[in-house]
Amino acid sequence: MADPMHQFEIQKIVDLPDVTIPGVGVIDMAFTNSTLAMTVAAAGIALLFGLATARAQVVPGRLQMLGESAFGYIDDLVTSIIGHEGKRFFPFIFTLFLFILAMNLLGLFLVFTATSQLAVTATLAAITILLVLIVGFARNGHNMYKLFVPSGVPWYMLILVTPIELISFLLRPVTLALRLFGNMLGGHVALKVFAGFVVSLGALAAGGGLGLLGIPGAMLSLGGVVALTALEFLVAFLQAFVFAVLACVYLNDVVNLGHHH
Amino acid sequence: MATESQSAPATGDHDGNPAAEAAEAVHGHEVPAGVTEVAAHGGEGGGLPQFRFEYWGGQIVWLLILFAILYFLFARVFTPRYRKIIETRQSTIDGALEEARRVQAEADSQAQAVKAEIDQARANARRVVADANAKAAAELARSQAAEDARLNGELEEAEQRIRAMRDGALANVEAIATDTAQAIVQKLTGSAVTAAEAGALRPART
Repeated sequence: MADPMHQFEIQKIVDLPDVTIPGVGVIDMAFTNSTLAMTVAAAGIALLFGLATARAQVVPGRLQMLGESAFGYIDDLVTSIIGHEGKRFFPFIFTLFLFILAMNLLGLFLVFTATSQLAVTATLAAITILLVLIVGFARNGHNMYKLFVPSGVPWYMLILVTPIELISFLLRPVTLALRLFGNMLGGHVALKVFAGFVVSLGALAAGGGLGLLGIPGAMLSLGGVVALTALEFLVAFLQAFVFAVLACVYLNDVVNLGHHH
Repeated sequence: MATESQSAPATGDHDGNPAAEAAEAVHGHEVPAGVTEVAAHGGEGGGLPQFRFEYWGGQIVWLLILFAILYFLFARVFTPRYRKIIETRQSTIDGALEEARRVQAEADSQAQAVKAEIDQARANARRVVADANAKAAAELARSQAAEDARLNGELEEAEQRIRAMRDGALANVEAIATDTAQAIVQKLTGSAVTAAEAGALRPART
């Protein structure tokens, strides 16, 4: 049976010269299957929305309608979570959502899923948390401590609550990165394992005799693959959505710090 | 790990597995600082290809570049276009609604004017009809009166004629009676009587 982990191997397609970044070190800039998947996803999004918003009509065509419903969907989400000020963060959340969604979906059509690479999900989580920190300090300054000290809580409870809030805040980038990574990794491994069963049980059946019992098993596995593929499409959308929602929630925490709504 | 760390420096293979590079890092043979740092964690990944840290740098940089390009496109191009078309659509709808409201009001006022005109016309018609009726009635009464007068005149004339004829007839009856009485007396007596004598026989007319 093929190694279910083989699909996650990084393979160089075009070897580009290493780049040395001061303070960080040498980075291998080779164009790999992972960067190819990211580039295809990004180019696809840019192409789709470039076409959808070019020559926008008051009465939209099909493609424009598609683009506008995506815009409206995330626009409503951002506004409902962050409020009116969410408009400023809309491009970021929308880019995040579309990029993750495109990489997730491409993983189901192509052979490589960029979001199943921890490097990718961790970077996306880091960007999000960095933005949250920058916005938080820019807006609240030294009042950022209120994030860990909920108002209206008696002092003796704060001894307990503050460390919990602090830890939960520090774990946010970790959970953000691991949730997406884990979902994509698990889903694709399960798909590969079930698909492998079909082949190996089919080979067993080809041997004849008792091995013929492998036929129902192979059929069951094939059904499993079909069902899992459908589930993975749902997961691909859901994880992109969850990432976007959590980014909104974290931004809301610092944008509307102190006044809950 | 232990065996690899012995063999790795000898081969000096940069593209080998992370354990080998980690080993290299440990031994410090012509390994750049960044790789040392990254590869030092490389051995912890176990079987997962995702934990081969030598590919992290490239992926992160590519992702950041692509994300930055996408973000720029969405922030500067696509979202403003989207907002603009939504705004245009809203203003178009508002304008159309406003226009419709104005036209509606205009139509209402026109309908009002037409209704007033119709009422006016109806009143006029009613008056004309009433006038005509009155005129016709007057005409009728006048002609009827004239006819009545003419007929009454004719009636009177006829009555006079009848009366005259009757008087004439009565006078004739007297003469005939006198003649008859003369003749009867002649026959009976053989003597002729004058008309005046015969007339005297007649009883006084009541």
